[in-house]
Amino acid sequence: MIPDRPADGSNRRREATDLYATVLEVVKRYHGGARVTRVSYGAGMPVDRLKILLERLVALGLLGSEEIDGRPVYDITRRGQEFLDTYWKMRGFVEGLDRLAHEEAQRRPAVRPVPAAAARIPSR
Amino acid sequence: MTDAKVPSGARVRLGTVEGDLRAERNSTIEAEGAVRVSGTAEFEGNVDVVGDLSCRSLDAEGGRVRISGALSVEERLSGDDAEIEVGGTFRAGAVDVDRRLRLGGPAETGVLEVGGLLGGASTLTATTVSVGGKLRLEGKLVARSLEAGGSVEVGDVELDDLEVGGTARLGGGEVRRKVEVGGRFRVDGAFAFGTLETGGIAEFRAPATGGNIEIGGVLSAENDLAFADLEVGGVGEIRGNGRGRSVRIGGKFSVGGSLTLSGPLEIGGKVAVRGALAAGDVEVGGKLEAERAVLTGRASISGALVTRAGFKAVEITLGHRARASGPLVGGRVTLERRAEAETIFGQRVGLDRLARAQRIVAEEVRLEKGATVAEVVYLRTLSVEEGARVGTAQKVDALPPFPL
Repeated sequence: MIPDRPADGSNRRREATDLYATVLEVVKRYHGGARVTRVSYGAGMPVDRLKILLERLVALGLLGSEEIDGRPVYDITRRGQEFLDTYWKMRGFVEGLDRLAHEEAQRRPAVRPVPAAAARIPSR
Repeated sequence: MTDAKVPSGARVRLGTVEGDLRAERNSTIEAEGAVRVSGTAEFEGNVDVVGDLSCRSLDAEGGRVRISGALSVEERLSGDDAEIEVGGTFRAGAVDVDRRLRLGGPAETGVLEVGGLLGGASTLTATTVSVGGKLRLEGKLVARSLEAGGSVEVGDVELDDLEVGGTARLGGGEVRRKVEVGGRFRVDGAFAFGTLETGGIAEFRAPATGGNIEIGGVLSAENDLAFADLEVGGVGEIRGNGRGRSVRIGGKFSVGGSLTLSGPLEIGGKVAVRGALAAGDVEVGGKLEAERAVLTGRASISGALVTRAGFKAVEITLGHRARASGPLVGGRVTLERRAEAETIFGQRVGLDRLARAQRIVAEEVRLEKGATVAEVVYLRTLSVEEGARVGTAQKVDALPPFPL
């Protein structure tokens, strides 16, 4: 039951970077005490799939992990915060470009489709 | 002390319990008036309470606890891998629920933490609210801070701080200190804020007033917007009037009414102000359009400058190949190589090589090689390099009054 929309609320399909950003944002809210189950509920992601993402994020230094009471807990690192800053900045640029493209499309005069018969070149 | 135990699958009627209550999975408790537990109420799996429940603390584990009436927990409500539903009013010292908390009536708590979803049909007052996933609240939220990893949709707010990872949509209200939203931020009603930082989009559907605004992508304000320093990475639009200290926009910026700034305006692309523009220094990479513009500082335009009533500044520089339409009024006005303008009023006006103007009214005029002016009216000096062209030149004892 992974949410089909990215964290920025747009209608586009959720990509891998959106999933990583979602997980990082949820982990960040727990200020060093993010347990897998909690992140799973927050990110709307099954635990087994989430564990794979968490391992990757730890391997890349975007998340830190330690054991408390025998259970792993996660915290976002400085690199993880850099990832989020870059991600949101990029999303912002894309939103800006999309909006300009949308405005241009609305200004453009509507092109009436040429009927297939009229478009056909008469044969001699 | 008489503890009470409700076996798995049982349906019992309970009133007052002096001690702890333990209800096992798939059991139902019907309240005799109300269920009052002096100790801890412990629920395992799915348990229904029909009526009101009050207890010192509540522990739920691995299931859904549904209380049809009011719930009052003196100390702590804890839900380990659990989901809690309360039909009536809700009151608790502290709340920590893993999965979901659904509130049917007004709620008042201390620190409130939910891992997945917090949903409410009424108002919520809490010390702090932290949600890993989503918050959906139809009524008003009053708290010191609200944090959510995913998204927030709430009626009016009264907060010190709001921090959301994904998207936030508010009915209106006030966030006294800081709003920080990763993705998209939208407010439907009147809104006041300390500072606002959004990675993607910020939308104000009603008048808003606040301090510094920093937006990565798009700003859209459908009404008036007051701010301190406004910085937008992509596109900015204020349909009403804009008022603040400074504006820095990476791309395009439009204002439906007037724009009044006490400090600088820096636009990477194009800026269009339907009404009057007032600002300190202005730097535009692309095009500036305004009904009229009066600056207290300098202006540097690299692309085009279009005004109907005129553009006034202490110093105006039209960049290489830049175009200006509408009168320019300045202390010092410089047209760089191949720049073009219509009428220029100034103390000192200079046209670099191959620049062109229709009319210059100034105290001192300097024209470099290849510069062209149809008409010059000057008070003190007219310096014309070889190869510059002047249609008519008239030295006067007093200049006519400048516009603006």
